Order: sequence, then structure tokens, then C-alpha cells
Amino acid sequence: MNNQELIENIVTCVARGKVSLESPFPKDLIGQIGTNELTKIALENNISPDLILKACNDGMKIIGERFGKGEAFVPELLMSAKAMNAVMIHLKPFFKSGTVKSKGKFIIGTVLGDLHDIGKNLVSMVVEGNGWEVIDLGVDCKTEKFISKIKENPGCFVGLSALLTTTMANMNKTVQEIKKQFPEIKILVGGAPLTMEAAIQMGADGYSPNPQGAVEYLNSWV
Amino acid sequence: MTEQNWKTLLDIINGEIKKQIPAGFIIDCPWLPNWYGVDIIDYFTNDEIWFDANMKAINEFSDTIFLPGFWSEYGMCTEPSAFGVRCTFPRNEFPHAHKIINTSDDIENLVEPNPKTDGLLPFMLNRLRINQNKIEKAGHSIKFSVSRGPLNIASYLMGTTEFLTLILTDPDKAELLLKKITSFLKNWHELQFETFPSIEGIFMLDDIIGFMGEEEFKQFGLPYFKEIYNLNPKIKFLHNDAPCKVSAPYLNQIGINLFNMGYDISLNELKELTQNKITLLGNLPPRDVLASETPENVYLKTKELISTLNDKSRLILSCGGGMPPGVSTENINAFLKAVNEI
Repeated sequence: MNNQELIENIVTCVARGKVSLESPFPKDLIGQIGTNELTKIALENNISPDLILKACNDGMKIIGERFGKGEAFVPELLMSAKAMNAVMIHLKPFFKSGTVKSKGKFIIGTVLGDLHDIGKNLVSMVVEGNGWEVIDLGVDCKTEKFISKIKENPGCFVGLSALLTTTMANMNKTVQEIKKQFPEIKILVGGAPLTMEAAIQMGADGYSPNPQGAVEYLNSWV
Repeated sequence: MTEQNWKTLLDIINGEIKKQIPAGFIIDCPWLPNWYGVDIIDYFTNDEIWFDANMKAINEFSDTIFLPGFWSEYGMCTEPSAFGVRCTFPRNEFPHAHKIINTSDDIENLVEPNPKTDGLLPFMLNRLRINQNKIEKAGHSIKFSVSRGPLNIASYLMGTTEFLTLILTDPDKAELLLKKITSFLKNWHELQFETFPSIEGIFMLDDIIGFMGEEEFKQFGLPYFKEIYNLNPKIKFLHNDAPCKVSAPYLNQIGINLFNMGYDISLNELKELTQNKITLLGNLPPRDVLASETPENVYLKTKELISTLNDKSRLILSCGGGMPPGVSTENINAFLKAVNEI
């Protein structure tokens, strides 16, 4: 496989959610290597981490577009994000050493009372794959948890996720408390019950209905 | 629910066109305790408060059908609790369940609960038993057995991300989990039927359906829902306020005849997708309009919704999803005013 083919295969494996040789998904790629092995080979072949990162983004763009058109669904999107995560494990040392420059820090969590993690995980994985350092606070996060992490990471961006209509009130409270203490911090919100109007109403700076939109929002500040 | 409410539901489901389109809402926690003015924990733990809150809502909005009617529940903890999950009950917030399945071995070892004795289920039934006389004396009866759906329970037991990727990476394990849950759910609904012979309907809530593609839904959703609804009640009611375009054409095949959807799809489109075989309960935006707008705007938006309808048969006007927290009496009355003017 030459370098061009390696990059193209990374794009395909991210888009199709092929994580590794052992991964049983997708069925037609069983027995073939996935992003884990491809990235390893690519780095051994001295392909630049930036180029690999770009391949990830191209792959995520393909699955994102299919998702937007209703041709792919959340399980496939999650598998693509996992495939991209496998790439990121290999690229992490390059971020740490500064070979690949991080675009900034993004703190994300699902709000208090909400244990749904799909949206948060998808956004977290796609944002990380786009060159951001992601600090994932998990699900059911109290406002204080966000506040304490913001204090540790000045200049960060914050993402709040909620799936339940019932936990929207908690999102509202968290946004307002963060804005009260850190008016300069940009807050991005997302989740099934949300709209741009609701996001603006609660005082958030941005809203995205999908991971790609979250990346675009964050990148607009770089 | 009164016998008259039940008859209205059946008439609408059978395609009868009434002079007036009925209005109905799914009401539960947290809207009901908040609206009644009590903390959620008191609503969950005090039978009298629970009964009085339900009666107050029924009396205040007597023109409306409240579904499922006298709903004894503990939010998302209800069924997962029977599997042994940790349940968190903040004093005045919605409770939540923590996942219990961390590896595929946990699925193998998962014990099918006994709904008579396990988790919060005996408490749920006992609340209804204790209040049965009062409910019936007030002219109502218990008409629905209720549960979360199999996909929803699976995602609570193992985490939504993990469950939705499992169906692609280890479909056999995902099916094993769904078989165990479905077998439990059938027993659970049968027990509710046995305990309250007045029950003639099944109500299930499952928004995980909305995240699947067609093939996944046909393999991991459809057969399991069908098996449970095959207990064959008169009304087979499903709530899924996540996307429903993929699953809607299959609702009739599952046997569902009453459906509460989200608000991201128009009633006209949904009628086409279901070939008008399913009665639709919807779909004013719950939070952005019903909870957040002024009564004047709720009235206008409801009028607007009604004016868009191409076909008013098999329809019960409601919001898209259950009643969200914070909806005021004034806003419900504004909605009902608009409906009553049809």
C-alpha cells in the first residue's frame, strides 16, 4: 500500500466505521485492517500526523453528510467516531509534543439528571478528531463540575448536552451559572430537545444539532 | 380514565370522525408534581399526594384525556430497577438509573427479573391497588398497563452508546439482551393485566427506536415490540418523540394503533407514512411553545397547527411528546380553547 492508498483507506475506514482487524463491523470489511493498523503503518511510513488528521476529518465529513441525508444513522455514526478515536490514540503523542498543534480546549458533559451519552460522545469524538483537546466530564454533571474544570482550563470552550426535555431546565441553570462566573467563556449546547431559539434564550453562544456543526462552531473561533 | 374517555379513544382509533377533535396529553412526573406544587420525591412516595395530584389535573382540565391515566411510576427507574440498577432520586428532580452491564458477559449473566417482587415494580402496582377504590369511586378506572420499551430499557442497562454500537459489533449479544428484556416485559404487562382486569391497553415508551436505521429497526426493534403488543389489548399505544420516519411505516405491522411522536415531523407527513391507519396524538412543540410561550401564542400556534391538517380523522391533539415541565394552567387552557373552537 503506498502512502496515497494509506490515506485513502483511513478516509474510507473512518467513514465506514472500521476500527481494527478484529472489528466485526462492517460485515463486508471483516478480515481487513482498520484505522488502528492503518494509522500505525502511516506513521511508520512517515506520513505527517496532520495529513492523517485531515483524512479522519474527510472520513467524518462523508459519514456526517450521509447522516444528514438520512442514509446513515446513529449506530453507524458512533462506529465512525470509534474508528476515528482509534486514529487519535496514535496521534496523541504528537499533540503532546506539539508536532500537531491543538486548536484549543473543549470541556463537554451531559447536564445534571441526564444519563444519555450518545450526543456528547459523538461530539466529543468528532471535535477531538478535529484537533481539539477534549475534556469529557461524562454524564449527569453538576454545574460545579463544569465550573471547577473551567477554572483549571482558562480560555476553554464549553459544550453542554441533553437528550431529555426534563433536563433542559438543568442545562439552563448550568449555562446561566457559567456565564455569571465566566462571561467570556463560549458555551455551545446541543441535544434532541433543543433549538437555536432555546439556546439563545438560555444564554448559550452557539447551538448545533450535529457533531459537524459543533466542529464548525469551534473552528470559527480559531 | 373514564369509560367515556376510553370510548372516545376507541372511536377515534376506529376511524370515527367526531364533531370535535379530542385533546389528550401524556402526563407524568415531573410535570404533574411541579404543577401540583409538591416535590417530586413526595409525589413518588406518598400515595395520597399522588392520587390528589392526578385528580386535581383531571378535574381542572375535564375536557382532556390524560394518558395513560393515574400513571403509577418512578420515571426512568421503574423497569431498570427490577434488573438491579442503582437508582438516583434527587429530592425535586427527575430520577435516573445507572447502567449495570459493562461487558458482554454481564448480558449472559443478567437475571430476568420477577415483576411481582423485583425493584420498584411491586411498589408501582401496590400504589394502584391502594388507590383502586378511590379511583373507581371518582368514576375512573385503570385502563393501561405501562412500561418503557425493550430498546429503552436495554440502553438504560448498558448505556445508549454501548447498546447502539453493540447491535453492529455483536448482534447476537444484542439480541440476547433484547430477548431477556422482552420476556420480562411480557410478564410485567401480563401481571398488570391480571392485577387490574379493567386494563385493556398497553402503553410503551421508547425513544431509542428513533436512532436506528431501517435494517436495524427491523432486526432489533420490530420483532420485540410486536411480541409484547401481541398480548393483544384493544389499544396499543407507543410514545417515541425521537425521529420516527424510519419506524413509522412499520407501526401498523407491530399492531400499534395509537402513537405519540415528537414535533420534528408534521402530522400530515406522518399520516402518509402510516397510511392513516394509526391514530396520532400530537404534536404542538412541547417545550418551545406549550411550556415557554404566552397563552396568547399557545392559542395562535395551536390554531396554526390545526389549520395545516389535511385530514382530521384518527387524530387527538396534543403536544409532540409528554407534557413538559413548567406548562402552566393558562397555557393548557389556551391550547384547549383553540381545540374547542374547531
